[in-house]
Amino acid sequence: MELLCLGLNHKTAPVEVRERFAVGANKLGESAHELIATTGVTEGVVISTCNRTEFYLVAPDAREAFRRLESHLAEKTALYDHATPHFYRMEKSHAARHLCRVVSGLDSMMLGETEIFGQVKQAYQAALEAGATAGVLNRVFQRAFGVGKKVRTETSIQEGSTSVGNVAVDLAEKIFGHLKNSEVMILGAGEMSRITAQSLVSRGARSIFVSNRSFDRAVELASEMGGHAVRFDDWQRVLERVDIVISSTGSPHAIVHRADVEKARRARKYRPLFFIDIAVPRDIDPAVGEIEEVYLYDIDTLEQLAGEAREKRLKQIEECERIIDTELAKLNLPGT
Amino acid sequence: MDRWFLITSTLLAIIGGAWGMVSVHRGRRSRWTVVWMVGVLICQLAFLSIRGELRGACPLSDRGEILAFLSWSLTLFYILVGPAYRISLLGVFTAPVVVVFQTLALLPGTLEMNPGKVIGGNPWHETHSATSVLAYGALALAAVAGVMFLVLDRQLKEHHLKSGLFRNLPPVRELLISLERLLWLGGVLLTIGILAGFLMPHDKSALGHLIAALAVWTGYAVLLAVKSVRGLTGRRLSLLTVALFILSLGVFAFV
Repeated sequence: MELLCLGLNHKTAPVEVRERFAVGANKLGESAHELIATTGVTEGVVISTCNRTEFYLVAPDAREAFRRLESHLAEKTALYDHATPHFYRMEKSHAARHLCRVVSGLDSMMLGETEIFGQVKQAYQAALEAGATAGVLNRVFQRAFGVGKKVRTETSIQEGSTSVGNVAVDLAEKIFGHLKNSEVMILGAGEMSRITAQSLVSRGARSIFVSNRSFDRAVELASEMGGHAVRFDDWQRVLERVDIVISSTGSPHAIVHRADVEKARRARKYRPLFFIDIAVPRDIDPAVGEIEEVYLYDIDTLEQLAGEAREKRLKQIEECERIIDTELAKLNLPGT
Repeated sequence: MDRWFLITSTLLAIIGGAWGMVSVHRGRRSRWTVVWMVGVLICQLAFLSIRGELRGACPLSDRGEILAFLSWSLTLFYILVGPAYRISLLGVFTAPVVVVFQTLALLPGTLEMNPGKVIGGNPWHETHSATSVLAYGALALAAVAGVMFLVLDRQLKEHHLKSGLFRNLPPVRELLISLERLLWLGGVLLTIGILAGFLMPHDKSALGHLIAALAVWTGYAVLLAVKSVRGLTGRRLSLLTVALFILSLGVFAFV
C-alpha cells in the first residue's frame, strides 16, 4: 500500500481552475467517501481551501490510482484534459513531506499562515467521521499535525504580520489591548480602509464611523460594516470619541492637521489616539504625530514592517525544512 | 537568621529579574517570573515575621526594616496585580527595584543587629507605619508601570517595534489602567496612614514628618484629581508618577 497525493494549488492553477475543484467545508467527508467508492482506493482525505484542493490516498498501485482519480475529477469538473497540466502528483515519502509542509504553512500563499493548520485538521476529521481513513492516513495525518506544531513552536515562521492591514491591527492591539472597547473612524471609503477596518471589526472593534466626501458612498460602506455614516464636514466632531482613525482619501493634500487634533484633545481627556494613514499622498500632516498621545503610522512604515516580517519568515524556511526532514526520518510512516 | 532570609530573597529577585530579562531579550515572555517573585515574597515574609517577633510589634523600627517592608509590599502588589492584568513583565521591572531596596537594607548599619522590643507601642502608630509603607509599595509599583509605559510609548512613537521587549510589553491602555488603579490604591492607603498618624501620640519633633507626609499626600491627590477631572496624557501621568515617587522617597530619607 502506498501513500499518494494529487492536487493543485495557487502555484499550479489559476483561480478559474481552482474554483472548479473546490469542495465546501460541509462536503469534505462526503467527498472523501465518494473518492473511495469511485476510484477504488482504500483510504482518502480531501483538503480544500481557497488556494488548494488536494487528495490524499492510499492505494496498492500508484499509476492506476492517479489515472482513476484524474478521470473521475475530469468528468466531475467537466474540464477533461484541461485539468491535467495543473495537477501535481506525489508518492510515498514525498507525499508525507508535502503534507507536513502544507500543515506548517510552508506551501501557503502567505508563508507561515496559521489558518491552514485548522483547515487540514477539519478535512481530516471529516474524512475520519465519514469512515474514509484507516491505519495509514490516520497515522500520517496525526504525525503531520505533530510536525506542524513543532515547526511553528520551534521557529518564527508565523511571527509578525505580513500584510499592511494585519500590521495595523496588531499595532492597534498593542495600544488598546482588546479592541472591544475601541471605536474606529474611516476617512475615505476606499478599498484599503474597508479591508483594514474589517480586520479591526473581526478582532472586536466596537463601532465604526465612516466619513467620505460622497455621503452616499459613506452610507453604503457604513451599512456594509454595520457602522454609522458621518458627513465629511463632521469628522472633527467624531474625533472626540474614537480611538483609531484610518485614512485613505484621494485628496491631493493633507486633510487632518495638527490643529484639528489639538481641538479634540481636551474632550478626549488626552486618551491615546492611533492614526493609520494609508493614503498616497498622505492624508495626515506628520506634525499630528508630534502630539504626545498620538501614534501615527503611514503606508510606508506599515509596508516596511510587513516586509520585514515577510523577510524574517523567508529566512526560516530552511530551518523548517530541516525539522520536517528530521521528524519524518524518525517516524518510519506506513505507506512511505 | 533573619538576614539570611533577606539575602536569599534578594538573590531570588536577582535571578527572577535576570531570567525575565534574558527571556524578554529572546522575545519570549517568562512564565517563571511570577514563581521567582513568589519565592522572594516568602523569604521576605519569613524575614519580617522573625523581626516582628523580636520587636513584639510591626517591624518598622529602623531604616532596614522599612526598606524590607517596602520591598515586601511592592512584591505583594506585583503578585496581586501582575498576573491579573497579564503583565508578567511588571515582575521583570519590579525585581531590580526590590534588589536595590533590599541591598540598601543589607548595608552595614541599616538593620539593627539585635533588635529590641518596642516599648510603649501604640495601635495607631502601628497602623500608621504599616499602611504608609503598604501605600509606598503600591505607589512604587505604579512608578514601575509608569516606566514601562514610557519605554513602550517611545518605541511606538519612534516605530522601533522589533525588540523582544516591545513584543512582551503589555498594551498601552492596560498599563495606564493598572497605573491609575495602583495610584488610587496607594492614595487610599496613604490617607489611612496619615489619619492614623494624626490619631497616634506625637510630639513637636514629628512636625517635619507630618508636613512631609501631607505634602506627598497633596501631590498624589492633585495628580489623581487632574487625571480624573481634566485628563492627562499617558506620558505626563507616568512621568509625574515616577517623579512623585522618587521625590517622596527622597523627602522621607531626609525628614
